[in-house]
Amino acid sequence: MKSTLRNIVISGAIALATTNSAFAQTGQTRTLPGLDSDALEQWGGEEGIRNWVESLFYYIMLDNRINHIFREFGNIERQIFLNTQLEQLVLGGDVEYQGASMEAAHADLGITVTQFNAVVEAAYNACERINVTYEACNQLIAALAPYERVIVTK
Amino acid sequence: MVIKNLFSRRTASALLLTAASATGSQLASAELFNTGKVLATGGVSMIDGAGGGGITPWATITGYATRDGINGDVHYTYANLPNYALNSLGVAVGFWDRFELSYTKQILTTGSTFNTVGLVTDTTSSAGGGAAGEATTAGGEGDESTNPGIEPFNTTIKMDVYGAKIRVFGEAIYDSDNLIPQVAIGAFYKDNENTDLLKTLKANKAKDWEAYISATKIFFPINTLINITARYTSANQTGLTGFGGPDGNEKEIRPEISIAYLLRKDTAIGMEWAQHGDNLTGESVQLGSVDATEAGPALQATGLGGLSGTLTQDESDWYDAFIAYFPSKNLSITAAYAMLGNITITPEQHGFYLSLQASF
Ligand code: HEM
Repeated sequence: MKSTLRNIVISGAIALATTNSAFAQTGQTRTLPGLDSDALEQWGGEEGIRNWVESLFYYIMLDNRINHIFREFGNIERQIFLNTQLEQLVLGGDVEYQGASMEAAHADLGITVTQFNAVVEAAYNACERINVTYEACNQLIAALAPYERVIVTK
Repeated sequence: MVIKNLFSRRTASALLLTAASATGSQLASAELFNTGKVLATGGVSMIDGAGGGGITPWATITGYATRDGINGDVHYTYANLPNYALNSLGVAVGFWDRFELSYTKQILTTGSTFNTVGLVTDTTSSAGGGAAGEATTAGGEGDESTNPGIEPFNTTIKMDVYGAKIRVFGEAIYDSDNLIPQVAIGAFYKDNENTDLLKTLKANKAKDWEAYISATKIFFPINTLINITARYTSANQTGLTGFGGPDGNEKEIRPEISIAYLLRKDTAIGMEWAQHGDNLTGESVQLGSVDATEAGPALQATGLGGLSGTLTQDESDWYDAFIAYFPSKNLSITAAYAMLGNITITPEQHGFYLSLQASF
């Protein structure tokens, strides 16, 4: 009992240490368990991702809990462009992300976990809108979820 | 640090509340009331009233509040078993996704289970000698100390369950890049009203507490939630048949596991297992000063022998297979098939379970 608990903590610590790189947006997010090797294909590649990002912002701008933040501080066109890069990258795509780090991009926004979750709900709605399966959708949810630690600052 | 955070949050909210009560309650509800969790991630209500699965408390905090506020729910659960029907009705509130409080009233009607025993005790005690034989000594009508707590018909067990849970560390949802689960510790205080019946069943106590530690994690890449709980308890059938047995009231650690597969953002299916104890296993039913096994011939003679072949008690681990559907953040519907095995003197207690949770 004690040693299994210690093992969990140790493997968790190793996992933390090895996945810090995810925050530099240089590659696929190392989730545990890992993402499907064909995760990006399940999404229909770059075009599928761009369709999703566009519908994501459609649902975000319809949500009165959060649209005011994007209206005031956002740049929708730039965010669609950069998110299309980022989402491919975290699913294992061979692309370059040219935007700011998640920490830097959201540092001054004072985003709450309630607002973060509103974006998650928009993400699921967008998956349904573009007919990506729930299972494929969860690959991206898993790949983006760890950013909550740096995006939510309030 | 977490604790400090929690307290500053609480103080801030308390201040807000005070300020709001001066300026009108509208503000208070806007600041404190929160339904910011993602659909289904508040879990459902387990039969003891805590946030969790069906029979096991999870490390998640009940309701839809994030750490930005408060949210509560009411639940009603009905389980229909061959010899019993369990009704559980309760209320729970989650505070800042940090701790939860719950109260649940459980009402277990025993159907035909104890009717025969109740009839026999009634009959044998009023019939005097004759066929009743030794069991007559069990009668003692009107004598409180030997009342078996069993009515000829519709013996009902009622229990109040008070629960509290605090989240200690970890992230069940967001930290998909590590294996550290969300961990919470909690406790129940259970007060079973049927002291006479529990005496008959030879339980050591009618009121007792139990404590648990739960670890919960969602693995999005495989659409799966796993919860592991260790409950420190001496309960017999979660306390519905009391705590401890003739050998005393020693608590022990019993494991419980829930596994849920997320089918859609609003639907999950899964299975649960909860280990149960054996405090009363092999014990017969105590009718006043006489063991029911000794009354066996009397039961046969009165034509009531075929109750279940035996009056020896037994207890099995609990299992269930469930489907939970969340049409909105205001409602969840859980249907399950519960496999509870032996309950007191009745075997094969398997049946359907329906639980509704309304969040407000
Ligand atoms: C995992 C979730 C999220 C991801 C992957 C994400 C991704 C991004 C990206 C790629 C950018 C562009 C950075 C740049 O301009 O260089 C950005 C900017 C921004 N994000 Fe997010 N974001 C997330 C969550 C949120 C949430 C929850 C909110 C608010 C509710 C939010 C609000 C904004 C705003 C307002 C900007 C523009 C900031 C600026 O241009 O100064 N984001 N985000």
